[in-house]
Amino acid sequence: MADLVQLLLNGLSTGAMYALFALGYTLVFSVLAVIKIAHGAVFTLGAYFTFLLIGGAVGANGLLSGFQLPFALPFWLALVLAGLAAAAVALLIERVAFRPLRQRGADPLLALITSLGAGVVLVNLIQLLVGAESYAIPTTALAGLPAAIRLLGAQVRTVQLLLLGVAAVLLIALTLWIEGSRSGKALRAVAEDATTAQLLGIPSGRMIQIAFGLSGFLSGIAGGLVGLSVSIAGPYFGIGYGLKGLGVLVLGGLGSVPGAVLGGLIIGLAEAYVPADLSGYRDVVAYGILFAVLLLRPQGLLGRVLPTKV
Amino acid sequence: MIDASLLTQMLIGALLGLSVYLPLRCGQLSLATPGFYAIGGTLAALLSTRVSALGGSDAAYPLSSVLLEMALAALLCGVLATGIGAVVLRLRGVYLAIATIALVEILRVTTLNQEALGGAVGIFGIPQPFNDPGGYVLFTLMLVAAICWLCDRIERNRLGRAMAAIRDDELAAACQGIDTERTKLVAFVLSAVVAGLVGVISAHFLNSWNARLGNFDASITTLSYVVFGGSRTWAGPVLGGLVLTALPELLRPIGDLRLIVFGLVILVGPLLLPQGLISPQLLQVLRGWLQRWRPGQADPATTQGGKP
Repeated sequence: MADLVQLLLNGLSTGAMYALFALGYTLVFSVLAVIKIAHGAVFTLGAYFTFLLIGGAVGANGLLSGFQLPFALPFWLALVLAGLAAAAVALLIERVAFRPLRQRGADPLLALITSLGAGVVLVNLIQLLVGAESYAIPTTALAGLPAAIRLLGAQVRTVQLLLLGVAAVLLIALTLWIEGSRSGKALRAVAEDATTAQLLGIPSGRMIQIAFGLSGFLSGIAGGLVGLSVSIAGPYFGIGYGLKGLGVLVLGGLGSVPGAVLGGLIIGLAEAYVPADLSGYRDVVAYGILFAVLLLRPQGLLGRVLPTKV
Repeated sequence: MIDASLLTQMLIGALLGLSVYLPLRCGQLSLATPGFYAIGGTLAALLSTRVSALGGSDAAYPLSSVLLEMALAALLCGVLATGIGAVVLRLRGVYLAIATIALVEILRVTTLNQEALGGAVGIFGIPQPFNDPGGYVLFTLMLVAAICWLCDRIERNRLGRAMAAIRDDELAAACQGIDTERTKLVAFVLSAVVAGLVGVISAHFLNSWNARLGNFDASITTLSYVVFGGSRTWAGPVLGGLVLTALPELLRPIGDLRLIVFGLVILVGPLLLPQGLISPQLLQVLRGWLQRWRPGQADPATTQGGKP
């Protein structure tokens, strides 16, 4: 029983992380119908920002070797600020890699390539500045909280519960905003048809910026939390999560917020229940599920089938 | 600055670009190329290191064995792609892209975990059919020429026209009586065969092979060859593959900045040249010159309509 609860919580917290990641993709996909490959790099940046803001020192290999901020913020403040910084970077990416193409009405495929370029630049910039070594955000950053607690006989890391909690809060807030508020409705209108929305007086460009900013914020926060939960395994560590997040997104249904969460939880749980001696095949399970769902239900679990326009 | 080894890498880049280009010519964004590339490479690595009968009596690995490996790789990739393509080509747009990425990842992780396929360590000491790197250049160049010729033939005949029609509007193409399913499948299988052939050459050229050679990064990099070079005709992916493979090496003198500059090139390229280096306008100009140079020999391709 305790083992099952343990696995369940492992799976849920991994799933929550994937879901946070996929939410960022979904926001951008729903308004622009393009996939932002640079998302993984923004996630990585969020982790590094958090590390620096809590007072972490840069290692010996980068240009900034030995650099340390003169102050050390508490983890929560650092996480939010890192999220905001990541949002700023996401806005910059929108400005440089997406807006020029959109204004020209170019093939959406091109945005895939330009955002790949932006991602390559970001990842290598990180490597140049802080080196390729891995960093760990010490769990002591969560001053006052115990490292692990007992729940139903299972030993649970506090970090996992935090991941789950933060993901749940952000998810509910996001759903309420999109479904309930005026600006959320505007976002949905832009997603439906940007030109018509513009004609009806909705500032499409502004809504797209909001989607990018939010997406950056979410992935920055996810990066900081994963940095705390696992560690920052070098500048490339966001790429693997990025790919998994993309799979989660498609599994749940492109552009669907509850779908992103459901997809994240399914993949997270499936991975947690892969037996330890087959752990190398964990990714095969995740992508196998994705592949099967795509073939049986191409629009994803909670996606909408759009009528073909002729 | 460009030595024989880099030249071979560039030609391999061009071939991978062609492999991505074929499905893209009928509007199908398939990122499965690195998967089939990995199948070809693993097959060549296994056969040449484990089957002693292929080794021959000479010091160098016989070229005929390489050709045999290529034939087997082409067959294996072709059969697999026919089966997989029949299923995944029902998916459209970005869903097809994701399904093929999932496929590449499944292949990669399985290879990584199977000791018999090289596992995480990979396969080392793959024998060399050529004594000097120049042999690889010549061999790869011949393959590039053959595939380019094939693509050129395809583009000028019924199949290529059907592919372009599907790219422009699949529904309209189907209404014209084009068998869209079959055309897409042919493009997908051809792409897989080309990728498998390149894998065989790469395995010998690189001397060692591991599962990491066919990953997600490779999917996106090879796609950037096509987008950068242009996806209208076979010359685009060839040029894109040559340039983008050479660029990180040519930028080596600027040291740590080189990958940042490479990223900037990929970022700015599509903004400045949305249709790639070999754009339809450029093709029109070139065809004009060609016709003035060879009057009387009308080029049927000039009548081919493109997207307005």
